[in-house]
Amino acid sequence: MKNLNSVICFIFLFILSLSPVHAEQCEIRILHINDFHGFAEPYNPFGSDEMLGGIAYLTARMNALLNEKPSLLLSAGDMIQGNNWANLSQGESVIELMNTMKFDAMVVGNHEFDFGQDVLKKRISEAKFPVLGANVEGLDMLEPFMIKDINGIKVAVIGIVTEDTPVSTHPRNVSGLKFFSSESTAKKYVTELKNKADIIIILSHIGHHADRILAERVRGIDVIVGGHSHTKVEKPVRVGNTIIVQAWEHAKALGVLDLTVKDGKITKFNGYLEEIKPETGKEDNVVLAIVEKYKQKVDAVLNEKVGDADVDLDGENVRRKETNLGNLITDVMRYASGADIAIINGGTIRTSIKKGEVKVKNVYSVLPFDNYIVAIKLTGKQIKKALEHGVSAIEEGAGRFPQVSGLSFKYKRSAKTGEKVNEILIANKPIDPDKEYIVATNDFLAAGGDGYEAFGEAIKASGDFSIIGGVMKGEKVVYSDSGRWLRDVVIEYIKEKKRIDPTVEGRITEIQ
Amino acid sequence: MKVYVNDTPVNILPGMTVKHALIHAGLLKDIESSKKVYDEWGNEIGLDGALSEGLKIYVK
Repeated sequence: MKNLNSVICFIFLFILSLSPVHAEQCEIRILHINDFHGFAEPYNPFGSDEMLGGIAYLTARMNALLNEKPSLLLSAGDMIQGNNWANLSQGESVIELMNTMKFDAMVVGNHEFDFGQDVLKKRISEAKFPVLGANVEGLDMLEPFMIKDINGIKVAVIGIVTEDTPVSTHPRNVSGLKFFSSESTAKKYVTELKNKADIIIILSHIGHHADRILAERVRGIDVIVGGHSHTKVEKPVRVGNTIIVQAWEHAKALGVLDLTVKDGKITKFNGYLEEIKPETGKEDNVVLAIVEKYKQKVDAVLNEKVGDADVDLDGENVRRKETNLGNLITDVMRYASGADIAIINGGTIRTSIKKGEVKVKNVYSVLPFDNYIVAIKLTGKQIKKALEHGVSAIEEGAGRFPQVSGLSFKYKRSAKTGEKVNEILIANKPIDPDKEYIVATNDFLAAGGDGYEAFGEAIKASGDFSIIGGVMKGEKVVYSDSGRWLRDVVIEYIKEKKRIDPTVEGRITEIQ
Repeated sequence: MKVYVNDTPVNILPGMTVKHALIHAGLLKDIESSKKVYDEWGNEIGLDGALSEGLKIYVK
């Protein structure tokens, strides 16, 4: 019996030795970025004195790493929208960049939809790599997965984007599309691909928290390369048998994950982030030329005329009285969102525009912040509370002073706190304290910025949100377009009107 | 959507980001003074990072 076992063992080892593929171990490298948002040039992040990022510097480092071993270059989404460098060509600049860098694949991020489906289709058609979106139905150009042979290892990459995409872009951008659950989609494709590939990667744009949950719930995922939450995962995380990575944001880091694979299994891994900083002489000149080319185009676009102003547009006095520029901007917000009224903080408006030609750069100077329009249902009582807060620190020149559209009110500076505002009219009728009105504002105030609590109260009271027919339905929130900056909406409006001559109409009256 | 900033609950709209949660919590100015934002696993996160229901973030 002992001899028989020895013979069987010998035969087994002999057969194994005949199979070189199983006997060898291979090394592959995954390089990854996410949430680039068009930040092509190095910049000082908020609160930091240090310049970080710069896609030309990242590319030089990437090329060095690519040369060391067989690699796969992946993007976990949100590439084409965000910074002016990307926005002013609607992401064309980013796709040219990614083609030059020779990306193997990217997953569509929620912000890839921000310029609308026609633009997205154009960008996908320009891309020399597959754009993945396994859980998106209705956009045929998105591929659910791709399989690539890297050093004899078959690697499957499945793309999954957040199911919350419809709440973070304008409803028209996702009209006719369906976004399915990450979990069920991952299960479906992992089952389909497990016998066709050695390694299965989920290229995810669902956020680090959701990546961890996905790894817990779906077996068979070897690696999740993540994005969406802009998380700086300095060392790979292991959840069950799944390795999770993510490379921060804005090309400030390049993710590197080295895998050793034997018998179709990962036997060893090592991952880290390479922080990217601008260092003279360490840039990739081909990519730098693309950055410069589109920078010049950005300058040209900023100098484009959008219309004519027949009057000076007053952005200087927005913190102490009604101004025609405040009226113009709030009118645009009300018009764009279909709200009853609009309220913003004067501090949103940073400068004036002289009578005459209005250029893109003038509007960008007036509205330099990346704010977007939100419309929320507030009661008449909450609107009064918001206005009371708005006029509560005029002497200090506080940015909270309101600029409004669709309503008028009077206020008395010397009156007691909470009793300064009266005679509020909406559509020329006295405000009804119990009636709900749709109020357009910007995301800053909606989040409670400048001390505006009324919007936060409404959001808190709004309860659960759901997505019905691709549109976010909340009890109190009726509009949220995070993919289009307010300044761009204003530019579109001026272009449409060609000539503007807003006036001060007595929307805000101080009484003695 | 409810998230927690330094263990204090904050209600924000779906689609809003880390920045909005900090505005709501009155902590955005802390970032100007070199503080950073971390998730509950200790990873640094960017101000434009997406949030998810129940996520805990910390400014330190």
